[in-house]
Amino acid sequence: MSSDPGVHESRHPTLKQYVGIAIFLFVVTIVEFVIILPVDFRGAGWTIAPLAILSAIKFAAVIFFYMHLKFDNRLLTWIFLGGLALGFAVVMALVGLFAAWTPGLRSYAEDHAKPCTLDHEYGGCLEDRIAAAPPSEPATEPAAASAEAPAAEAPAAAPSGLAATGQQIFLTGQGQGAATACFTCHTISGLSETGLLGPDLTHIGTDAANRQPGVSAEDYLRQSITEPEAFVAEGVERAVPGLMLPALTAGLTDEDVDALVAFLMEQK
Amino acid sequence: MAHQTEMSHHPAPAEHAEEHPTTTGINNRKLLMWVFLSSDCLFFGSLIATYMVYRGQSLVGPYPVDIIDVPITTISTFVLLCSSFAMVRALAATNEDRQGAILFWLLMTAFLGAIFIGFQVYEFNLFRTEGLLISTNLFGSTFFTLTGFHGAHVTLGIVWLLGLAWIAKKGRLGPKTALDVELAGLYWHFVDIVWIVIFTLVYLIGGFDTGPAGDPSLVPHSITGFLGLF
Repeated sequence: MSSDPGVHESRHPTLKQYVGIAIFLFVVTIVEFVIILPVDFRGAGWTIAPLAILSAIKFAAVIFFYMHLKFDNRLLTWIFLGGLALGFAVVMALVGLFAAWTPGLRSYAEDHAKPCTLDHEYGGCLEDRIAAAPPSEPATEPAAASAEAPAAEAPAAAPSGLAATGQQIFLTGQGQGAATACFTCHTISGLSETGLLGPDLTHIGTDAANRQPGVSAEDYLRQSITEPEAFVAEGVERAVPGLMLPALTAGLTDEDVDALVAFLMEQK
Repeated sequence: MAHQTEMSHHPAPAEHAEEHPTTTGINNRKLLMWVFLSSDCLFFGSLIATYMVYRGQSLVGPYPVDIIDVPITTISTFVLLCSSFAMVRALAATNEDRQGAILFWLLMTAFLGAIFIGFQVYEFNLFRTEGLLISTNLFGSTFFTLTGFHGAHVTLGIVWLLGLAWIAKKGRLGPKTALDVELAGLYWHFVDIVWIVIFTLVYLIGGFDTGPAGDPSLVPHSITGFLGLF
C-alpha cells in the first residue's frame, strides 16, 4: 500500500488488551468511589493524593492504549505531553498567582459567606427564604393574628418581638452570639421540616410544661438549651443522649436563649 | 505546503492522504489532530484552573456539598468509559473491514455518549431547580463553564460519530479509510480523559466542599439519599 512505511506503521492493541484496559478502568473508578464512601473520608485532605494518582493512571491508560500512543510515532507522544505539561503549568501558575497575590480572598469568603441548607421545595437556600419572609408578614398580620388566629393554625407565620428573634436564631444560629442553627436537627412543622436528628419541637410549647414535675416550661426549655442533657425526655422520639453537644449552643448569649425560649413557648 | 493544499481539497476516501509521504513520517491529518488535542489541554487547563482558583470562595449557596451527587455521576462516568471501549471496537472493526460491526460500534459509541449527555442534562436541570445557576455564585459559574464545555465537546463528538455512521452505512468505511475513524476515536478518547480529570477534581475531591464558613448540613444529603436505597 504505502511507499513510506512510517506513515501508518502504527500497530494496535489486541481485543484482549482492550478488554483488559476497560476492566482496569472500571476497577480504578470503583476504587476511587470506595475511597470517598466513608463519610469521614469525604473531602478529607489526604484523599486528594490517591484520587489524583488514580485518575492520572486512568488518564495514561487511555492515551497510551485506547489512543495507542504507545504504538505510534514517538513524536505524537511528545506533542501531546508537551501540551499537557503546558496546560498543567497554566493551572499551577494561575492557582499560585491567586494564592500569592490575593491571600485575603479566602478569609474574605469565610467572613462573608452565608450558610445554606438546600431548600428542596423551592430551590435555593432555606435561610434565604426564611430571611426574606418575616419583614413582609409582620407588617400586615401580627395585630389581627395575635388577637384572633390561634397560634396552632399558623405556626409558620412570623411571630413578633422576642419570639421573632428566637425564630431567627432557630433558623440561622445567629443571635447576639452564634450557635449551630437549631433547625439543622429539629423540626417544627410548617416552619422547617428537614431536621430529623433531634426531637420534633412542633408542640414543645405545650409539652414543655408537662415534662418535668416542679420545673416550669420556660425553665425546662432554658435549661434544655444551655445544658442539653439536663433532662432527657422519656418516650420522645429521637431524644438521644450524646447527640446534642453543649458546644452547639455555647455561643448563645442569655438574651439569645430568652428569645429562643419565647419562640419555643409559642410552638403549641 | 503543497501537501496541505492537496489535502484540503481531498474528498472523503482518505487512501490517497494516507499514502502521502511527509517529513515527519506522520500523516498530516493525524498530526493535526494530536496538535489540536494538545492545545485543547490548555483550553481545559485554564477552565480547571479557574475552577480551582475560585473553589471554596462562593459567598452564597448552594455549595457543592448541597447538590453534587457523586454516585449518579459515577454511573455516567462508567457510561463514558464504556463508550471509549465501543470506540476502540469501532476502529478495530474498520481495520478488519467488518462492515456490520463498524456501524454497530460507531452507533453504540454515539449512543453511550448521548446517555452521558442525558445524565448531564438531568444534572444541570436538577441544579437549576435546586437554585444553582451559572450566575448564582462562583461555584455555579466555574462548574457550569467547565462541565458545560466538556458536554459541548461530547456533543460535537456525537455529531461526528453519527456522520461517520452514515458513511459506514453506505459501506465507505474500511481499512483504507480507517484513519477517518481513528481521528474521531482520538477526539472521543480525549474527551473521555478530560472527564476523568473533571470527575476526580469536581466530584470526588471538590464535591464535598461546604461553604467557606462551614455548612449547617453536615452530612451530604445526596450520598445518604443514594445509600438509603439499599
